[in-house]
Amino acid sequence: MTLSDIDRIGATATDAIDALQMDEDTFRAFYDRTARGVWAYLSRTTGDRRLADDLLQETYYRFLRASGSYADDAHRRNYLFRIATNLVHDHRRRRQPERFEAVADHDPPAPDTTGDVAARTARRIDLARAMDRLKPRERDLLWLAYAQGSSHEEIASSLGLKTGSIKGLLFRARRRLASLLTDRGIVPATEEKEHRGHE
Amino acid sequence: MGTSECVREAEVLDAVVSGRWPAAAGEGDLRRHAIECPVCADVALVARVLRDERHEAWRDAHVPAAGHVWWRATIRARAESARAAARPITLAQGLGGACAAGVCAALIGLTWPSVAQSLSWVGAALSWGGRMDVLTLAGSALQQTLWPILVPVGICVVLMPLALYLVLSDE
Repeated sequence: MTLSDIDRIGATATDAIDALQMDEDTFRAFYDRTARGVWAYLSRTTGDRRLADDLLQETYYRFLRASGSYADDAHRRNYLFRIATNLVHDHRRRRQPERFEAVADHDPPAPDTTGDVAARTARRIDLARAMDRLKPRERDLLWLAYAQGSSHEEIASSLGLKTGSIKGLLFRARRRLASLLTDRGIVPATEEKEHRGHE
Repeated sequence: MGTSECVREAEVLDAVVSGRWPAAAGEGDLRRHAIECPVCADVALVARVLRDERHEAWRDAHVPAAGHVWWRATIRARAESARAAARPITLAQGLGGACAAGVCAALIGLTWPSVAQSLSWVGAALSWGGRMDVLTLAGSALQQTLWPILVPVGICVVLMPLALYLVLSDE
């Protein structure tokens, strides 16, 4: 390899930074707005917080390298979730179907000084087991719809589905999870607090 | 309207998402409806459980700093671009190496008759025994017939390390 080759490669490497779709300041602002939501989605759909850490980095890298044009911030965010979803699907294809483990199994959450830690952990493990019984796509749908608060159009865009099919898919997934939750006696945390308050 | 949807579904979801469910005043009618309507009951239950889980996830999330993610992305982008730029150079080097090896093989093929002749000279010299000075014979053989061997061998000695260097220099 000659010196001119090295110069050429060096110049290409510098161009690579220019080819990223955002400058650093814009990226920082966008990341701060979206990273927690993406991490929550990744950790709850894979059931593995360490994997979520890795996939988060990969998601933003692919997003930066993609040459997309976005109408607005919501469109950009949908695209980000689409990348995250594809990464999760790729991971599922490469490996055996993973168990939706309670996140607490991998790494204990930060100590909670405000509530009943044992009850909270038990509820989370129950929920994780219920989620484990769902199909991966059902998990993705439910998380985006009810945890992330995405519209049907946004869900369709993130999961690569037709908007018209979301309602039916969501209904079936919701029915399944609701019956699993009812069978396991899982109630929302707020309701649990209410019950404790009445006692 | 089928049993898979309810006109008040969005209302229930909105109340859950905005935190008005279940305690806020004025939602009594909606709560009574959700008790009777299986669709809205499912929406209320699932949405509340997943919203709670989302709060937990946000609290647990220890995402790396934006600057760190940016820094790693730029390093990776540079490395990938450099690799992509070096690919045609490596290809050209490989072709160069292959050409050099081909030239060497062709030269050896061309000079092979002379090599065979030289070998027969050596054999003849050894069979004469003491009748002739072997060293003198070998000297004249080198001068007269072995030079066609030395030329391609010399080319190989020069070209092969060069070709190997060009091919393997990336590693």
